[in-house]
Amino acid sequence: MIEQLPIVNLLLLLLTALVIPLFKKKNFKVTLSLNFAVLLIVWSISVYLLYYVNTEGAFYYRFGNYHPMIGLELLIDPFSTLITFFIMTMVLLIFVYSTSDASDGIHQREYGRYYILMFILLFSMYGIIYTNDLFNKYVFMEILSITTCSIISIKRKKQNYAAAFRYVMLNEIGSLSYLFGVALLYMVTGFTNIELVGQQLETVWQTHPTNIIIAIGFMIVGLGLKAAIFPFHIWLPDAHASAPSSSSAILSAVVVKVYLMVFVKILFRVYGIDILDALNIPSMIMMVGAVGVVMGSFFAIAQNDVKRMLGYSSVAQIGYIVIGIGLASYVGLSVAIFHVFSHGMMKTVLFLSVGAVIYQRKTRLITSFNGIGYLMPISMGAFFIAAIGMIGIPLTSGFISKFNLGIAALEGGSGVYIIVLIASGILNAIYYLPIIIAAFLRDNPEKQTVLSKDKVPILMLAPIVIISLFIVGIGLFPNGLMTLIEQAVNTFKV
Amino acid sequence: MNDIIVRSITRIVIPFVMLYGIYIVLHGHISPGGGFSGGALVGSSLILYTLVFGVDKARKKFSHRVSEIAESGGILLYLFVGALGIILSGSFLSNQSAGFPMGELGSLLSGGVIPILMIVIGIKVASTMISLFHILIEEEK
Amino acid sequence: MELLKDVLDHINFIGAVALFVIGLYTVVTHSNLIKRILGINIMGTAIFFFFIAVGNVLEGAPPLIDPDGNSEVVFINPLPSVLILTGIVVVVSITVYSLSLVVRIYETYGTIDQKEIAAIQKGEDYSD
Repeated sequence: MIEQLPIVNLLLLLLTALVIPLFKKKNFKVTLSLNFAVLLIVWSISVYLLYYVNTEGAFYYRFGNYHPMIGLELLIDPFSTLITFFIMTMVLLIFVYSTSDASDGIHQREYGRYYILMFILLFSMYGIIYTNDLFNKYVFMEILSITTCSIISIKRKKQNYAAAFRYVMLNEIGSLSYLFGVALLYMVTGFTNIELVGQQLETVWQTHPTNIIIAIGFMIVGLGLKAAIFPFHIWLPDAHASAPSSSSAILSAVVVKVYLMVFVKILFRVYGIDILDALNIPSMIMMVGAVGVVMGSFFAIAQNDVKRMLGYSSVAQIGYIVIGIGLASYVGLSVAIFHVFSHGMMKTVLFLSVGAVIYQRKTRLITSFNGIGYLMPISMGAFFIAAIGMIGIPLTSGFISKFNLGIAALEGGSGVYIIVLIASGILNAIYYLPIIIAAFLRDNPEKQTVLSKDKVPILMLAPIVIISLFIVGIGLFPNGLMTLIEQAVNTFKV
Repeated sequence: MNDIIVRSITRIVIPFVMLYGIYIVLHGHISPGGGFSGGALVGSSLILYTLVFGVDKARKKFSHRVSEIAESGGILLYLFVGALGIILSGSFLSNQSAGFPMGELGSLLSGGVIPILMIVIGIKVASTMISLFHILIEEEK
Repeated sequence: MELLKDVLDHINFIGAVALFVIGLYTVVTHSNLIKRILGINIMGTAIFFFFIAVGNVLEGAPPLIDPDGNSEVVFINPLPSVLILTGIVVVVSITVYSLSLVVRIYETYGTIDQKEIAAIQKGEDYSD
């Protein structure tokens, strides 16, 4: 019975997406409660699988009981259960937020469609993380790409469509490059299963090096386009500009991280550390990450629109994760996955609180934040906690990830990256602090100087408060999360 | 279109195209093809009907309700067959190890559960093609 | 002569890579949106062509078993064709999605040329 739980997860998510149109005639609250119930069930199954795999051991799920050489298999090990647990927690809280925010600006008959897209998106993310087959990953990646694009451009606005078209074109070039890499690997090894390809590549590397070098190049470029690593990040800020806040939060905090986890899996399970060291790839990845950190922050300083600024800030933080991956050591990879968690939480709080302010003020300009701290103290308080987490001030989880990244860089022998970390901390402060100062120290148009409760629904405030408490909590007690992450990194041979 | 030659020839040709598509779907486990290509053929014949006779007549023959039932019913049947595999043998979509009758090599009723899946995929692909074409055409009005 | 013989032996793979580069060039340089969608289709077709060329065995028969015939025949690899069927469906669905976006862009902007759309988009507003 335990072995059927992963497929129960996937089937539940897909079946809910199919069942939602049947409730079109009833009250919308029935649909929302059904969705929340299913999300809660899948979340508890993910938590149980995380506990089970960490105490009993990993297992495989083979479709149709076929041998992995000719069939499909799912791999349930500490890494995949940890990432699916992270995805589900974030989406559960964003779902609670979106029940009151999505109704603002989306047409009446499209409410149900938003949630159908969200469930298919979850189904494809679970599929990407669980599967152990390269071609199957491509199919799920395409499903994820279409549903993310639809969820961003669901508001019928003029600038949405051009941004969505650019998003689809760039993501398609990325997926097709990844597929070309898979074709080249299939040519040399004859398998598409990740473990079998990994074993074969160790022997084939001596006889056919050209194919493998070209395949690595295509796969890194393809996954870099989809994960918004620095030179390929062009689609990310435009995509955030007119999306609903909950979809921006899903895109920047969860979807991009899934592609980074695929990047980690490909680099360390398919190719292995020997081939990577022979081609000098880890140092190249670290340089690309460092450039991304600095350039992303530079672009963010120049923005007038608060959501585009948060988009460029995402590009900079993804640079940190890429530096952590490029260190190619046990410590570096653990810090990278910890920053995935921590950045996911902080970016969610930032987008959701900014979304609450936009719900009130109806505009996205940074100058509209003047004095809003008195009208909406809870949202701006959460924004303050997440922003100091991004800058890297102690007591938050952002400080722990930056500190450990500096230590890992020093241990790995690349101490020069500490200068990059310090410089980016200063640059982050340059564009986050003016918003907080403007919110609490300038006068607002209503001339109010007394703190009053936010005039937004309680369902929008509760997730923001819960996640901010998590940020501070993990900043003070990171040990539980670090043990889980270390068990996950143990499955890679670094 | 108002041309009489096009209309008469289309009326004669469409049943043959549909028959060929259904033949490819049903023989998916014996010869190349299967659900996707056969479904695309059936869908193309319906698109040909829409192009020649106009969207309104085609809408009456293949309304929104029919395509909804075809698509949702298709997926639910596919998942039901997969779940049968879980109950009978412990793994999603198991065929031979779940004990479905395999038949003899090369005959039409062989291969366990594969013909059912091919028919489901064929229906779903055909209905997807025709409903997407209708949605794109109707935007101009 | 050696080079010519090598090229002719591997002409399938060279053709697939050439198609991929032609498709990529079309997506990157042309400004008409429909031509970009065609470029993505060409790239996808090139990759499927590469897959089939990988699975080819010289002097092989199609992978269909004849129950009464000789059982010592060399077949070509049937696995790539199955992978490609799925891949074709994926590329078709992406094409349909992009085409519906182009229809919407034409309704709102009145043009499907990327340069003219960028010129219209310069006056962007920040309201939500």
